[in-house]
Amino acid sequence: MSGLTSVRARTGDAGTTTDGRDRDPGSGSAAPAEPSWLARARSKHLGLKLAPVGIALLALALFLYYRSLGLGDSVIQQSSSLQWSTKLWPQLVQHLTIALWSTVLVVVVAVPLGIALTRPPLRRFGPAIVTVANSGQALPAYGLLIIFLAMLGQGLRTVVVALVLYALLPVLRNTMVGLDGVDRSVIEAGRGMGMTRWRVLTRIELPLAVPVILAGVRVAMILNIGMATLAYLIGGGGLGVTIAVGLKLQQDPVLIIGAALVAIVALTFDWVGALAETYLRPKGL
Amino acid sequence: MSHAPKIRLEHVEKKYPGSRTPAVEDLSLEVEEGEILVLVGPSGCGKSTTLRLVNRMIEPTGGTIHLDDEDVTSVNADRLRRRMGYVIQQVGLFPHQSIAQNIATVPSMLGWDRARVSERVDELLTMVGLDPETYRDRYPRELSGGQAQRVGVARALGADPEIMLMDEPFGAIDPITRERLQNEFLRLQAELRKTIVFVTHDIDEAIRMGDRIAILGERSHIRQIDTPERILAFPVDDFVRDFIGSGSTLKGLQFEVVDDAVELDPYPTMGVDDDPARALRAAQDANAAYVLLLDETGRPTRWLSVEDLESAERVTAESGTEVLAKVELGATLFEALEQMLISAAAVACVVRDDGSLYGVVRLTHLNRVIRQARVEAREHYERIGAAS
Amino acid sequence: MDGITSWITYVSGRPDEILATTWDHARIVLVVVLGATLFSVVLGVVVHRHPTARALALAISGIFLTIPSLALFAIFIPLVGIGNTPAMLALFLYAILPILRNTVTGLDSVPAAVVESARGMGMGPVRQLLRIRLPLAWPVVMAGVRVSSLITVGIAAIAVLVGGDGLGEYIQGGLTRLGLPNSLESVWTGTVFTVLLGLLLDLTFAGVQRATTSKGLRA
Repeated sequence: MSGLTSVRARTGDAGTTTDGRDRDPGSGSAAPAEPSWLARARSKHLGLKLAPVGIALLALALFLYYRSLGLGDSVIQQSSSLQWSTKLWPQLVQHLTIALWSTVLVVVVAVPLGIALTRPPLRRFGPAIVTVANSGQALPAYGLLIIFLAMLGQGLRTVVVALVLYALLPVLRNTMVGLDGVDRSVIEAGRGMGMTRWRVLTRIELPLAVPVILAGVRVAMILNIGMATLAYLIGGGGLGVTIAVGLKLQQDPVLIIGAALVAIVALTFDWVGALAETYLRPKGL
Repeated sequence: MSHAPKIRLEHVEKKYPGSRTPAVEDLSLEVEEGEILVLVGPSGCGKSTTLRLVNRMIEPTGGTIHLDDEDVTSVNADRLRRRMGYVIQQVGLFPHQSIAQNIATVPSMLGWDRARVSERVDELLTMVGLDPETYRDRYPRELSGGQAQRVGVARALGADPEIMLMDEPFGAIDPITRERLQNEFLRLQAELRKTIVFVTHDIDEAIRMGDRIAILGERSHIRQIDTPERILAFPVDDFVRDFIGSGSTLKGLQFEVVDDAVELDPYPTMGVDDDPARALRAAQDANAAYVLLLDETGRPTRWLSVEDLESAERVTAESGTEVLAKVELGATLFEALEQMLISAAAVACVVRDDGSLYGVVRLTHLNRVIRQARVEAREHYERIGAAS
Repeated sequence: MDGITSWITYVSGRPDEILATTWDHARIVLVVVLGATLFSVVLGVVVHRHPTARALALAISGIFLTIPSLALFAIFIPLVGIGNTPAMLALFLYAILPILRNTVTGLDSVPAAVVESARGMGMGPVRQLLRIRLPLAWPVVMAGVRVSSLITVGIAAIAVLVGGDGLGEYIQGGLTRLGLPNSLESVWTGTVFTVLLGLLLDLTFAGVQRATTSKGLRA
C-alpha cells in the first residue's frame, strides 16, 4: 500500500511520460495571476481548439510540398514510392489499423488486469508492477519487434502482439494509480451505505479513475502510432515503409513526406486523445 | 422497559490477526430506540472500531450483534448497511455525482421509483436546510465543508433508516459552523427520533449531543455509561474525571433549568410611586442590600441600593442602576450564573415570558442544586452498586 | 533453456565488444540528457513566472514527444546527414519535456512563505533562485531527469536506422541475418543490454538525486 503510494508520488511529479502533453495546467497553483483573456481562453480549451488548426496548416504545407515535387512527370525516380493511391494511402490505412487495434487490445487487457491488481488478493504485487512499468520505459521497441518476429513470424498479428505488450504498461500503471488514487473516504462511505464491492468499483472507483486511465490510454495510443512506424521492419507495412525507402535511397523528399505524414497522424490522434480526456472525464471533477 | 433495545452488542470482540491484544474486548452495550448514545474516549481507544462493528464495516471476531432482537452478526453485510445511515468525518461524497444523485444512493439501491426518489431528495435537502432548487444539481466540490456534511447527513437519512451511525461527523468543521450543525441536528433529531450511535473525541460535543454517553478506555472498555448530567455530577473514577477535565461542575449547570424545581427567593420590590422609606424597611427586613424597582407592568428596571433609598425623597425611573441581569424562566443555570456575574446585586432576575419578575436566583441556589445533583448521582450509583 | 545457454555463450564470447557498444549507447544518452537538463532547467526558470510562455514551452516540447521516433530521426537527415547527429538531436527534443515540466512543477511547489521570508531577509532574485528555489525544486527536477534518461535509452536503440551507433547495432545485425546462427542471440543482446543500461542509468541518477538533494528534504 505504502509502496504503491510512494510510486504514485513519483509518477505524479514525473507524469511527463504518461501524459505526453499536458494541456491541463493543474500544477500551476503557485503561478502568478494570469491575464484574464488567457484564463478565459484556457477555460474554453483554447489549446484544444488551436491544435487542429496547427495540424491542418502542417497538412496543407505538406500537400503543397507534395504537389511541388511534380510527381506527374514519371521520369522522377521517387514517384513510384510516393504515389498516393497505391503507396501512401494503403500505408496510412495499415498504420492506423495496427495502431487502433493494438490500442483497443491494450485497453481490453490492461484495465481488467489493473483492476485485479488493486483488489485485496493481488494488491501486494502492485508496487512491483508499477516499478517494472516505470523501468519498462527503457525497453527498446525495435528489439521487442524483432524478438516477436523470430517467435511468431512476419505479419500483422506479430506486430499487434508486440505493440500490445509494449503499450500495456502505461495503461496498466495508470489504471492502478487511478484506482489507488480514489479517496478512501469515498469508498468507505459507499461501503457504509451498503454498496457491494462490485457496485463501488463500477459506480465509484472506475468513474473517478477515468481521467487517469484515459491519460494512460492516450499514451498507449501515441506509443502504438510510433511503434507502427517500425512495423515495416517485420513486414507489417505502415508509413514506416516510405521513411525506410527514403533512408535507403537517400531521397530527402521521400523521407520528409513519410516522416511528416506520420507526425501529422500522431499529432491528430494525440489531439483526439486530449478531446477524449476533456470530455469523457466525469462531471463534477 | 420490557421491550428489546434497538441495538444490542453482546461480548463483542475484534482481534486483528497478528496482534496480541484485541482492539475491542468483550464489549456489551445497548442502545435504546430513539436515543443518541455517544461513544467518547481518547484517541486509539477503539471507539470508531466499535461503531464500525455495528454495521460490520469491521467484522467482529467474537460476540453477537442484535438489531431489534434480530441477530445480524452473520447476515448479508451490504443489506444490513442499507438499513442504517452512516456518516463519517470526511463525508465521502461521491465527487462525480450531483448532490441529488449522492442523496439518492440508498433509495436507488433499494429500487425506489424515480419520482419517489426525487421527491425524497428534495424533502431531505429541505430538512437539512439546503434549498433543493439551488443545490439539487450541484456537485460536491461546489460545497463548503459545512454544506458537504449537511448533504452527508441527508444522504445517510436517504431511505429513512431507523439507525444512524455517526463517526465524528462534525470533527472537520470550523467551531462556529460546528455548533450550528450540532444544534440543527438536535432539532432534527427531536423530530425524527432516530436511534443514533455517535462517536467523538470531544467531551463537550458528547455532553451537548448525547442522551447518554459511554466513556471508553483502552480496548473499548466502558468506564462509565450514563446521562451527561450524572457523569458530570459523579465521575466514577480518575480516568473518567481526567477525561471530563476541569470545569465539569460548570458544564453540569447546563443541564439544570430555572423553573419551579428551583426554589426562587422573593426579593423586595417597589413601584415608582411607592414610598422609599417603606421599601428601605422591606430591604432591611429581607436583609437585602438592594430593592428592585418594577415598572407598571411588573418588569424589573432598576437596582436601588439602600444608600439610594436613604438619600432620596422619591424614586424616579432613573434612580439606581439598570437591571441587566435577566434570564427567562426555562433558561439553564449556566446562563443564570453568567448573568449573576454581571449583576450589581450578584443575583439574576428571572422573568416570565411577558418580562414580569418571577423571582431571583442567587449563588446559594446554584450551590444547592449542584450538591443535590451529586448526592442523587452518588445514591444512584450506590443503588446499582448494591444491586449488582 | 537452450536459448538462454546459447545467449550466455554468445555474450561471454565477446564481452569487450558488447561493453564498447554499450558505452557508445551510454555516451549518446548521457550527452543528450545532460544537454537537455541544462537547457530545460534554464528554460523552466525563465518561463516559470510567465503563464503564456510557460504554456507554450510545455506544449511545444510535448509535441516533440508525440512525434514517432523514426519520423523525428528522419526529419533531421536532410539537415545534418546520417549518423549520430540526427539521432542525438531527436533524442534531445524527446528529453526536454520530462525535465522542463518537472522543473516548472518543482518551482511551483516551493512554498510561497519560504520565498517570502528569503525576500524579507534581503535576498536578491538571483540568490533566491540559486539558494532557495532551485535547491527546493531539485528532487522533482531530478525525477524528470531520470524519466528522460529512461526513455532516451530505449529510443536510442533506433539510432542505428539512421546510421548511428549504440546497442541497436546488435538488433539490426540480428535482423539482417535472421535465421542464421547467432542472429536471435544478437537481437536479445541488444534488447537486454539496452534495458540494463536504462536501469543502471536510472540507479546512477537516483544516486545523483540523493547526493545533490539537501538532507532536510529527504524523506
